[in-house]
Amino acid sequence: MADTELAEVADFLAGHAPFAALPARVLRALPARLTIRYHRRGSSLMAVGVDNHDLIIVRSGAIEIRDADGGLVDRCAEGSTAGSTTLIGPNPSRFDVVAIEDTLALHLPAEVFHELSQAHPDFADHFDAERADRLRTAVSSVATNPAGEAILRTSARDLVHRAPVSVGDDVTIAEAARVMTDEGVSSLLVMDGRGVVGILTDRDLRRRVLAVGVDPAGPVTSVMTPDPVVAAADTSALELLVTMTERTIHHLPVVEAGRPLGVVTTTDLMRLERVNMVHIVGDVSKQPDVAGVVAMARRLPRLVEQLVGQDVAADDITRVVTTVGDAIERRLIALAEDELTAAGHGPPPRYCWMTMGSRARHEQALGGDQDHGVILADDAPEGAEDYIGALAEIVVTGLEACGYPRCEGDVMASNPRWRQRLTGWRREFRQWIHEPTSDAVLTASIFFDSRPLAGDDTLHARLAEDIAAWAPQGHNFLGHLVAAAVANEPPLGFFRGFVLARAGDHKDTLDLKRGGVGAIVDLARAHALGAGLVSVNTRSRLLAAGRAGALDPAVAASLVDALEFISHVRLAHQTRQAASGATPDSRLRPSELTPFEQRTLREAFHVVRDAQQALAQRSPGHLT
Amino acid sequence: MFGIRRSTERRREDAATAAPPGPLRDYLSAPFPDLATPVTELSLLALDVESTGLDVEEDRVLAVGWVPVDGLSIDLSGARRRVLATRRDVGQSATVHGLTDDAIAAGDLPVAVLTELLGALSGRVLLAHHASIEVGFLDAACRRVHGVPFVATSVDTLHLQRRVLTEGLGAQPDPLPGALRLWAARERYGLPRYRAHEPLTDALACAELYLAQVAELSQRSSKPLTLKAIRAT
Repeated sequence: MADTELAEVADFLAGHAPFAALPARVLRALPARLTIRYHRRGSSLMAVGVDNHDLIIVRSGAIEIRDADGGLVDRCAEGSTAGSTTLIGPNPSRFDVVAIEDTLALHLPAEVFHELSQAHPDFADHFDAERADRLRTAVSSVATNPAGEAILRTSARDLVHRAPVSVGDDVTIAEAARVMTDEGVSSLLVMDGRGVVGILTDRDLRRRVLAVGVDPAGPVTSVMTPDPVVAAADTSALELLVTMTERTIHHLPVVEAGRPLGVVTTTDLMRLERVNMVHIVGDVSKQPDVAGVVAMARRLPRLVEQLVGQDVAADDITRVVTTVGDAIERRLIALAEDELTAAGHGPPPRYCWMTMGSRARHEQALGGDQDHGVILADDAPEGAEDYIGALAEIVVTGLEACGYPRCEGDVMASNPRWRQRLTGWRREFRQWIHEPTSDAVLTASIFFDSRPLAGDDTLHARLAEDIAAWAPQGHNFLGHLVAAAVANEPPLGFFRGFVLARAGDHKDTLDLKRGGVGAIVDLARAHALGAGLVSVNTRSRLLAAGRAGALDPAVAASLVDALEFISHVRLAHQTRQAASGATPDSRLRPSELTPFEQRTLREAFHVVRDAQQALAQRSPGHLT
Repeated sequence: MFGIRRSTERRREDAATAAPPGPLRDYLSAPFPDLATPVTELSLLALDVESTGLDVEEDRVLAVGWVPVDGLSIDLSGARRRVLATRRDVGQSATVHGLTDDAIAAGDLPVAVLTELLGALSGRVLLAHHASIEVGFLDAACRRVHGVPFVATSVDTLHLQRRVLTEGLGAQPDPLPGALRLWAARERYGLPRYRAHEPLTDALACAELYLAQVAELSQRSSKPLTLKAIRAT
């Protein structure tokens, strides 16, 4: 008789990788070798610098894993594990693990972990992969990724982007901290007459000063890391990465002839890795024809998938998607000009090709459609409109082949209304701002998010200045913007019995765009235009509105977080779609979400709704 | 308070003297954990009894499950589930606990299970949800088998839940009916849902609830939480 069988625990393990793959016999015997502990929200399960001897399996609740610099490595819900890095690799832990919800955890002792790893290769592989992900994202991608070539070509000198911030060796801890705050740096070099004698980081201030109650009036030399590891200016980025990973350091001074040039951080290296991947796709500018550009564009979904897999911030990923999209569109425009010239048309008139909507805001996701227009110089020759029309047709067709669908609202330069002379555009915007109708404002909102992409930038700059000056005076216009910004209700009902969009194909799906990303974009636009701000990017608009007092800074920060989370869920969803050959969209099935994602999404949507209500209350007249 | 302690210890010593040599005397001879023991070092045994009914004299124990709690950690290696062989028909109670007459016919002798349980409980605090039932059945069994009463220090998660709900911030003077039940109490802490009325699962469910309650009560308390602050008897 199975008189000690813990069916509840065994069944739970059987439902989650890598335990699911263990033989039934092993699985049944496993619970008796575990202990269970309860961790209240906010309590620590593992800390940087402290030895760990258990694999922690989240039974219920959620945990967060951060690296020694406080960077978010992973958030884990039910069925996820933490601690494998110290079981496979050396102690002490390089990560902080904290319960972000009240968490019930199964603890699996190290000896059981090693026993299972030896007897079941799949089990070991799972944790090797997880460890590689969490510990050495950057290093492992060098080995598997063509971007690795570039990291070999880049030197420490190239990575230093500002002169080092330093203090003398006679200052106090408090003075050093003040300098770091004023300069906005996370590390500080301590110098004597001859050179670098130490380095002080944010982390040192936390661990060696605050945590242990050291007097800030004491000398900085007492808490700095003396004689830090330094790198020569021509060390390759790959060597830097390996050195920093091996020694678990995050700041590396770069020196030349004994003189510091600056400090390289792990963030710089991570960023470099991303830039290089963009660079690979960015070779589009060298493509001789549309077919070559299309081939490059096809690599985008895979690139996004990698970035999502590495837990790169959604904000960074949409910038990558935007950058690649910009390169594609610019190349197609240049190729179209060549084609027209070859056909005996031209030379091109003076014009500015502008991109609009999410791309203009640097927020493009996969599956985004085309939004563009052209400003012609007032002095362009007669017939210039026809030239732009022919150019636009070629570009639109090319973009379509690259995976950017035509704009449903026909906001494209191929539409005569959206290729006008500067005077015409000024007339359009003045009308939208001073004599707005609700429909027109909704249609026009896309034009308030625009950015020059090709041609003569100054034409766009003239228009942008006018808009920023006119917008704060257009009270009716702002009223319509506010009304639009509060109209798209976040789908909070989704989380109570899944009340969802009911129409057609979209039955039983959650729209992350309309009441989520789109609602935040609308809020940011309303606040930014109301305050006469020129920013176009949603994050910048929110933070700038917070600084300008147009929006509670805490609300601005929450909206930025909400945007980041919703965008991340959306990107993960889109890469899954792209991988299975489907057209990427923003509609999610509830089954795609983990309980943790559901909870966090609900919180994010609450933030949006609260911000909408605050805006509606503050501007009651705007709603009529 | 000191008086209660003395009387529990006195009763244990008296019962130990009266008990015939054997498992009950061994159990009673081990001192109970000191009341000043902090919960972080306290050893308990979470226990659940499935029976034909709630009358400790008339009804019979069909199955028991237990799991040790050492400090703030549940030790699953000590988890046990025992079905008792009994002559009496299970009858209608099978619909609750799912134990059939056949399963029970294949069970262990009640005396052997009592011996094993007393051994597991030695030196530990008895932990149960509505502990008076478990204590009552153990007492009836000890009197029947050994002619001596059962004595224990116990912690009752139902009592603790009432305290959690009626003391401190956001307290309600009268918890809603049902809020003190094991599964409702667990839900409040976001603990996983289990199939109820399986003795080992219920014992584990009680042990997990205890950890959550102790975590909350510790946070509310200005001094370290001790056995004295949480015990029922």
